[in-house]
Amino acid sequence: MASDAPGFVHDRPAAPPLARMAVALLALIGLLVSTYLSLYKLGVIGGLTCTVGSCEQVQASPWAVLMGIPVSLWGVGAYVAILAIAIVGLQPGQVHARWVALALFCLSAVGVAFSGYLTYIEAYVIEMWCQWCVTSAVIITLIFLLSIPGLRQAR
Amino acid sequence: MPRPAPESPRRSSLTPFYVILGLVLLAGIAVLVTQMRPNKDAGANVPATAVTLTPDQLQRVKGMSRGRDDAPITIYEFADYQCPHCAQFAALIEPVIMERMVDTGRARYVFYEFPLQFKWSWLSARAGRCANEQGKFWDFHALVFARQGDWAFDPDPISKWGPLASQVGLDQGKFEECVRSDRFQKEVTESSQLGNSLGVGGTPTLFVNGRKVETPTSYAAFEEEVRKIAPGAFGGAAAPAAPGATAPAAVDPAATAPAGAAPAAPAAGTTSP
Repeated sequence: MASDAPGFVHDRPAAPPLARMAVALLALIGLLVSTYLSLYKLGVIGGLTCTVGSCEQVQASPWAVLMGIPVSLWGVGAYVAILAIAIVGLQPGQVHARWVALALFCLSAVGVAFSGYLTYIEAYVIEMWCQWCVTSAVIITLIFLLSIPGLRQAR
Repeated sequence: MPRPAPESPRRSSLTPFYVILGLVLLAGIAVLVTQMRPNKDAGANVPATAVTLTPDQLQRVKGMSRGRDDAPITIYEFADYQCPHCAQFAALIEPVIMERMVDTGRARYVFYEFPLQFKWSWLSARAGRCANEQGKFWDFHALVFARQGDWAFDPDPISKWGPLASQVGLDQGKFEECVRSDRFQKEVTESSQLGNSLGVGGTPTLFVNGRKVETPTSYAAFEEEVRKIAPGAFGGAAAPAAPGATAPAAVDPAATAPAGAAPAAPAAGTTSP
């Protein structure tokens, strides 16, 4: 049994949840991908490396901007938020925090819905693919799936 | 019985994870910085690549030509109307080339379609040929690039090109009828095949007197490259001539012919109806 008395150790804390570590790692990769696309969209990078699809043409489409802000920049914001929350959620005492699980679930759910919409646009409207956009869609979907167990275990 | 606390604090079990995150972050930043670094090889520092442009190819495949047939410089451009980089090039650099090289008699400019995999790449290439049929290629060419954003994602781009065609003085009905037919499919296919045979991978790709040059980021970079390939065409270190100036007389004969091509071949690029 654990004791709070000074000089005595608690029971060994539960290992940090691997799923949340994976969420943080994926969010970091997603952040890098979105940053890359944002740098292109903002004109800092001259061209996109695109071995599959037509990344630059997709980025030039009207669907690459939302409310006057490049979609990739929205992605940067979302991934930063997910990364920060996931890291906070790895700290002792926050592992089972309900707000962490809910925030990760909700943010990634919105991300999956929006990525799904953009993927539909790529497939059926402009009929062109951007490999980095698809990569981001896969990442946010994985984050969403990994956030589900945390939601069930939250107290 | 309570256990005594250990003497040294245990390291956080998250430390290896933070190390992994840090490494991924550093690797990502390194890749991004590499992408951001200006390409020092672009433009003048890259030696032009000789290509095998045979007289046969030039005779068989016709591009849209502008400028004097006997100009000391021949510039070939391979481009796609739906490619964003081509639109940028057409808006920012091509007009200056026309003004300072082509209209001054220094260069002849030949445009070849090189349709990529965009939705309307081939259709737009044929539309350009249809405009050429009515003798308004260059006006339509400039306008269709300038308005790329208006038609590139439209399900019926011909309905967008029609008014553009009318705007540059084309018979809109004839133009639309031409685009809706499969006319000029053969010419565009040949143009594309010529690009493939010359090693054109992306667009826009430029050849100056038969030598492939890196796509310039500015007119100045392009002129610097052209001066290296055909120094005589500029009459030494003269500044770019004003529009309407006469072509300089001094010409480097060795630089006028595309590598592997007969000197007389460039005239084959003209397709004026």
